[in-house]
Amino acid sequence: MIFILLFLPVLLGAIVLLSKSRIITRTSLILLPMVYIAVTISAWSGLNWIILPGWLNIFFKFDPIGILFLAVMSVVFLASSIYSIFYFDEHNCSVQQEAVYTATMFLFVAAMTGVLLSTHLALMWVFVEATTLTSALLIYFEKKKSSLEAAWKYIYICSIGITLAFVGIIILSIGSRSFNSLFFSDLYSHSSEINPFWLQISFAFILVGFGTKVGVAPIHAWLPDAHSEAPSPVSAMLSGTLLNTAFLGLIRVQEIMIDAHREEFSNFLLLVTGFLSLLISAVFMLQIKNYKRMLAYSSIENMGILFIGIALGKPGIFAAMILLAAHSFSKTSLFLTSGNILHHFKTKKIESVHSLLKRDSITGWIWIISLLSISGIPPFPAFIAKFLIAKAFFAAGLGWLSIPFFILLAVIIYGMGNAVFKMSFGENKSEIIESKRLNFSAYTGQVLMLLLLIAIGTNIPETVLNLLKNAASFLN
Amino acid sequence: MSNILIILLGTSILYIFAASRIESYVKTLAFQGLALFFLVIFDLKEINWLNIAFLAIETLLVKAIIIPLFLLRVIRKNEIGREVEPYISQFYSMLIASGIFILGFVAAFWSAKVGAGVKPLYFGVSIVLIIASLFLIVNRKRIITHILCYMILENGIFLLSLSVANEMPMLVNLGVLLDLFVGIYLFVIFFNKIQEMFDGNHIDILTELKD
Repeated sequence: MIFILLFLPVLLGAIVLLSKSRIITRTSLILLPMVYIAVTISAWSGLNWIILPGWLNIFFKFDPIGILFLAVMSVVFLASSIYSIFYFDEHNCSVQQEAVYTATMFLFVAAMTGVLLSTHLALMWVFVEATTLTSALLIYFEKKKSSLEAAWKYIYICSIGITLAFVGIIILSIGSRSFNSLFFSDLYSHSSEINPFWLQISFAFILVGFGTKVGVAPIHAWLPDAHSEAPSPVSAMLSGTLLNTAFLGLIRVQEIMIDAHREEFSNFLLLVTGFLSLLISAVFMLQIKNYKRMLAYSSIENMGILFIGIALGKPGIFAAMILLAAHSFSKTSLFLTSGNILHHFKTKKIESVHSLLKRDSITGWIWIISLLSISGIPPFPAFIAKFLIAKAFFAAGLGWLSIPFFILLAVIIYGMGNAVFKMSFGENKSEIIESKRLNFSAYTGQVLMLLLLIAIGTNIPETVLNLLKNAASFLN
Repeated sequence: MSNILIILLGTSILYIFAASRIESYVKTLAFQGLALFFLVIFDLKEINWLNIAFLAIETLLVKAIIIPLFLLRVIRKNEIGREVEPYISQFYSMLIASGIFILGFVAAFWSAKVGAGVKPLYFGVSIVLIIASLFLIVNRKRIITHILCYMILENGIFLLSLSVANEMPMLVNLGVLLDLFVGIYLFVIFFNKIQEMFDGNHIDILTELKD
């Protein structure tokens, strides 16, 4: 099955590029996420209906946490694909452009799948770098001056960051000379044999490297630029899946630290970067002028909370898993909706957008509800996650940290809410606003995301809960 | 023999600190690739021959010939002569370079003393290459120099991995090489686009996006 996930995108991408047919491009754009969802569900229920060739079996494996991330990615991928079709129509893309977009997107997804499922640290690195290279092309898709600048900053900063992660991997292999292997299973079972000095240095390097991709402060410089300049469905993929993917890399390395009983060191670093990310996004959120950049800073904030979550031990990790899904789905909905707003108003400036509800009530309401979801208002799952993190602070004996935590969150929610409500309800009397509906593919993805969020938040199915618990038990 | 090669590698970075013609950067890059090739041939005896063959081809063909030639063509096509005035002047950069070398030597002595399980000279010089290339990236303004320094950084990391002599699976080596290759290719594509659209190739012109 892993074989399908890794090679079908490449194959379909080649077909799309060669066929140059609009129907084939769009069909495969919808078909592939469906296949992903189907394969994820069957892997989740323990079915394995295709035997792998032997060598692939060694390097790739389904495990609970990988399946959770894969599930989140597949659903976000579906929503973004549906929206992409609206995006193509709106921008009058040529068949050639559509094919290039689709093929690059498929390669991007294949690279992310490689990160999620690989069992070897260095191989995972290879795929993380591959995600940078493929997504840089997607960021530059609109071929504007600003998107070129964003793409350059993205590809250069992330490549340097990822290179430092490779230094960390080599340093880890210095420390693990006694068993000489970088397979995760070996690293976990022999963790006591790893020289603690080299292990700690290597963790610091890998934190900087993968942290650059996750986009936590102070190495987040590329994130607001790339997220705001990419086409909206690509921004949704970047925020909803790419950041998670790099985060999984860090979780797998954090597991080594925990097994080697060096988690004090790593937890400290994770807490510091987490709070710094909250601080940075709070500061920028108060004076934000561009609504896509606002969403990008919110991603930095949520990644910071995820870092804090995994630094807080068992209860925090479970909360982080809930927040991960909640953030991906809400942010996907927000970024896709930002594409609708861009379509209506032709600007990314917050001050130039007003009366969104009158212009297009569906877009307006999705925009507001998604804001409620990302800010953690009940019944949305982000509420449960943030509540559990507050609890985890006390369980870890760091209760006082929950005070700055909630103050920073409040500032961020105030900044975002202020902008969103001004855009939705604010009125400009001098202008007459005609209401206009968009094609239904401009709403489907977001509605799907919000329904999923409400389902998880109000009545979480037993199987989903088990998936989250299994994923969280990865770090113990 | 291998010690001489390593020392030459270290000296090459000093040469880059002093040089200001971009073409001489590329030539140094090709020289480093060649030095790494000989290191692989002379020094790696303990790992299996398939891996050695792969590494030899990688260093000779990719690092010493293909990428430098590719970059040289780009430079000649765009008629880029010299590096523009860096942020920190030449004199102080040389001082900093000496500081980085001292750090490298300290690391080499230290690793030999505590028996860290690495080849000390390799370890020290690779640290010099990595830190020096990061410094050059921060200090230089031309985008093409950034691409060249990224390659030097990659060379430093290659040397670091030689100092460990732990074997990576073939699949990983292949993947790293592919990433490097595609990465440089994309860098150059974006570089050309920036040259076209922004009418210049300093990083100072990339200031449209900010808060």
